[in-house]
Amino acid sequence: MIQVSHISKEFISPKKYPGLRGAIKGLFSNEKVKKMAVDDISFHINKGEIVGYIGSNGAGKSTTIKMMTGILTPTNGECIVNGVNPSKYRKENAQNIGVVFGQRTQLWWDLPLSESFSILKEIYNVSDEDYKNRMNFLNEVLDLEEFFHRPVRTLSLGQRMRGDLGAALLHNPKVLYLDEPTIGLDLVVKDKIRKAIKTINDNYETTIILTTHDIDDIEELCSRIIVIDEGKKIYDGSLKELKEKYGSKRKIRMEVKHSKELASFSTAEKLNCSSNDCLTEYDADNHLLTISFDKHKIETPQVISSVMEFTDVFDVQIQETELSEIVKQIYNHEVSEELV
Amino acid sequence: MRRKLKIYLPFTSNELKRQLSYKGAFYLFMLISLFGSFISYYLWMAIYGNSESGVLGGFSKNEMIIYVFMVYVTSSIVTVSIADWISDDVVMGTVSMNLIKPMDYRISLIFRALGSMLYRFLAPGVFIWIGIEVYKVKVLGMDFPNILSILLFILSCIMSFLIYVLFDFCFGMISFFTTHIFGMLLVKEALLSFLTGQLIPISFFPESLQHVFDYLPFSSMVYTPVMIYLGKYTGETLCYMLLRQCIWVIILYLLGSLIWRKVTKRLIVLGG
Repeated sequence: MIQVSHISKEFISPKKYPGLRGAIKGLFSNEKVKKMAVDDISFHINKGEIVGYIGSNGAGKSTTIKMMTGILTPTNGECIVNGVNPSKYRKENAQNIGVVFGQRTQLWWDLPLSESFSILKEIYNVSDEDYKNRMNFLNEVLDLEEFFHRPVRTLSLGQRMRGDLGAALLHNPKVLYLDEPTIGLDLVVKDKIRKAIKTINDNYETTIILTTHDIDDIEELCSRIIVIDEGKKIYDGSLKELKEKYGSKRKIRMEVKHSKELASFSTAEKLNCSSNDCLTEYDADNHLLTISFDKHKIETPQVISSVMEFTDVFDVQIQETELSEIVKQIYNHEVSEELV
Repeated sequence: MRRKLKIYLPFTSNELKRQLSYKGAFYLFMLISLFGSFISYYLWMAIYGNSESGVLGGFSKNEMIIYVFMVYVTSSIVTVSIADWISDDVVMGTVSMNLIKPMDYRISLIFRALGSMLYRFLAPGVFIWIGIEVYKVKVLGMDFPNILSILLFILSCIMSFLIYVLFDFCFGMISFFTTHIFGMLLVKEALLSFLTGQLIPISFFPESLQHVFDYLPFSSMVYTPVMIYLGKYTGETLCYMLLRQCIWVIILYLLGSLIWRKVTKRLIVLGG
């Protein structure tokens, strides 16, 4: 469905110097700074997949999306979306895709939402019958009816986002790009949007590419994720695999009876393993003992029993590493080398 | 063709509706420029009052009165500054929202400008025009213009509108390179008020400059329709002027396409 091959985008901007002196110097200098926003990225996405496209701020996510939608022309490489090269045949491509940029709206600001929809109906050449069916479906999943006749500028962010998603889906696009569709929304609306995305994917086999900073979006929606950092692809695979590979750390938190010796207590010593695999921390104020360990190397009961031998335990909490932890590590370049 | 109209006509009606919701600002703007017209009216009256001959630059005193106010009507209808909109789209990053739809950005802007033009024509334009006609017939004792010259004037105005908008599209493309073009918009306004004949009829410029103006699109924007309306162009000159307008529409259309193709190649979208 989508074939991206060795795509790169380079931005050239005039060099800026700091301070007032720098500003004056900038008037006379002609130096340019090159920045690779996207650096040689390739991937293939099949029909009906929901792919999470993640990376830290400024990693090049939006730039890639913009190249796939035909807004930006890649410096090198090319992508083919549904058999069309978007940068060469922007309008043909636009007929096949729907786009939601969470930070912007494609709706007409001063007009009621209903007007925006009827304009889009004409732009995408949707027949009356299709329009009716679509609207029924969209009303069902997005509850547009309650604010359908209000001007877009008076809508709340959540309503506007639902409106935007509806607008992107009106012409039943084969590919849907969602650039941070849940940014700034409350949990209820987020949930609604996620459910809508899921339903659309199930009913119409729409291929969906989703960029987000919300890990819950990814856990609930995406079977596959692509991680990019500083313009380079650093992971492409299933979510499960990523978790298995890099989510091996487990954390146990225990509320224990306070004793002075706990400050020097080390589970690693007790179990005869290196402190890399098993780290013990004690919070004397709250009487909390936290042990982080590698679940492939040490078994959980061992850890608990070793502590119980030492002191009384009142409460035990076991935490698996969440995706957000892994992503955080990736963003901080802690695991990126291993991944590559 | 019908399908194309169906796509882009909503932009026209949308702009009409939008203009109606901001009418306060609009009337204030109109009042200011009408005020300007009266200043130039009194200026010309003073000039004619002190001149020996009754005809200056080919204009009699009465013709000059009509010229001053018809220029006002024409330019308020024709000069819809779409460069402002392009600049806004670039600064706010909303230009990408136009590019994700299967439509032509320029045509959508032109249709939007059409909405603005229709509104300006209906709101004060046509009433001031009628006012001028009444004044002309009752006070100055001149003849009512014949239907043909009114039709030719409207035809010429439509082409003026296209020339202006297509030119402004090319001009607005600068904002893709510099982001903000507010300063340049002011320069444009000032230059155009000279070059289009809004300030002084082009026949007042030195001969050599007039030759240069012949090769520029600006006199076709406001000066030509007003001169047609005044009946200054007849026969061959009239055909030549209309043809020249036609050619400018084509040239600026092609130039705009060319620039647009270049611009989209190096487009940078601001803000995320």
